[in-house]
Amino acid sequence: MRALRERGLLIVSGCAIPLTLLLALEVAARSGAVNPIFLPPPSAILATFWSIVASGGFAAPLAQTVLFLFVGYGIGCATAIVLGILMGSSRPIFNLLEPLIELLRPLPKPALLPALILFLGLGARMEITIVALGCFFPVLINTLQGVRAVDPTMINTARTFGHGRVAIWRRILLPASAPYILAGMRISLGLGLILVVTAEMISGNGGLGDAILAAQRTFLVKESYAWLVVLALLGLALTWFFSMVERRLAFWSAPPVQ
Amino acid sequence: MSIATDARSAIAARAAVSGSRLTVDGIGKSFQGPGGSAVEAIGTVSLDVAPGEFLAIVGPSGCGKSTLLQVIAGLMLPSTGRVRLGERDVTGEPAHMVYLFQQYSKSLLPWMTVANNVMFAFRHRMKLSQAASLARCRDYLAMVGLADVAAHYPWQLSGGMQQRVAIARALAAEPQVLLMDEPFSSVDALTRLDLHSLILDLWTQKRFTAVLVTHDVDEAIFLADRVAVLTQRPATISEVIETRLPRPRHSIETRESPAFLALRHRLLDYLLTRGGGRSHARSA
Repeated sequence: MRALRERGLLIVSGCAIPLTLLLALEVAARSGAVNPIFLPPPSAILATFWSIVASGGFAAPLAQTVLFLFVGYGIGCATAIVLGILMGSSRPIFNLLEPLIELLRPLPKPALLPALILFLGLGARMEITIVALGCFFPVLINTLQGVRAVDPTMINTARTFGHGRVAIWRRILLPASAPYILAGMRISLGLGLILVVTAEMISGNGGLGDAILAAQRTFLVKESYAWLVVLALLGLALTWFFSMVERRLAFWSAPPVQ
Repeated sequence: MSIATDARSAIAARAAVSGSRLTVDGIGKSFQGPGGSAVEAIGTVSLDVAPGEFLAIVGPSGCGKSTLLQVIAGLMLPSTGRVRLGERDVTGEPAHMVYLFQQYSKSLLPWMTVANNVMFAFRHRMKLSQAASLARCRDYLAMVGLADVAAHYPWQLSGGMQQRVAIARALAAEPQVLLMDEPFSSVDALTRLDLHSLILDLWTQKRFTAVLVTHDVDEAIFLADRVAVLTQRPATISEVIETRLPRPRHSIETRESPAFLALRHRLLDYLLTRGGGRSHARSA
């Protein structure tokens, strides 16, 4: 009962600033302090948002953004994990790939968009590729660090019971570096969302990024903001989803106090 | 867990041992030191361990005991010499030797339950159903008095319990040779005495060859048939002493017997004055 009340209080205090801000915007827009053509009152944006949701019009752009994000994210993370484990456990492979990776890693990924458009055109392949590229590096660096931090005792334990190299990768290095890998994947998920929306804005081929920009270009300012709300909610859902996955996969790295 | 087995059945059990002899034949080990110079960890060590024997190796800390044991286990290659188990040279990790680590908290895998940790020792080598594997796992956990923690995670158990799980896991691989690297040094004193009795019990039941590396002279005498004394780095064997204490040994009485105390005196004297090699330590 007391915990419930404390939790309620926490929610109220957490919502205080956003709600005040929305109220201030509402007043500012309605009083004419800001131009309502640039910033319609939040209540109007909410109404438009609601009509997009109720009509089901949000589904197609949202689904496309989520699909491209997940495919690119999946490819980027999987490649990074495999390569990170290989590089982390083999000196020669590390020496072979490290210079190339250090060259490409600091490059802001949107700078690759023009080249990718030349090769892959404006569409799904380009959008997925840029997401995969962006997600690749943080996961790779973290996997590498994670593998290096694995205690030799763990590896020797597997060896003394006669586990081979592949079993050591799969059953020791991968789970032992999971907390590091997941931290990298959390960063990559945010990056992936940025890149998929940027790519959508450039290709104009559907998705939330395209919806936001297209609405703004046709002076449907309320719609543009309403799509922004959809995007914000997607971001929130992804964070929540990821925390759940992380708790489940790395439960042992922070043992609960009993 | 006290030593329940009476003397006669213990002797009968030991007589039935049929394993391979462990031969350490003039091994040496050097490491690349800072600046490229070679640092000698092990001088030249030869040992001959009979099947079913309990050998303890004592030496001052940092003398290369663990290195020696890792070379014997095939976890590390020697710079010179060779290790043989029966007729076969040990070049990788041999199927019949298991290494029991000092750091149980790192050796037990925290993302696996106790049951999965134990199955990690044998499941990949035996074609067993899930049910049969679990039953086998429970048998070994029962042997160390922990049948009821199979579903727990290692970090939910006390240090002593974790080392028991590690012992159960090592034995579940059914090794001919169990190599123990100071396995009792990270638990409290009472738990240590308890684990000593447990390991002797299991050794009597399972008839494996045991090689224990330790810096604890009492532990070495209490457990072993023979105690080998190592010198300071680079380690060489300075003396091998047969304990000749009657079995089964008892946690309290054995440690108070005149024979035990005499051995203790002799070994400590050796380690503290001459045997540590301090007077004739070579500088690396």
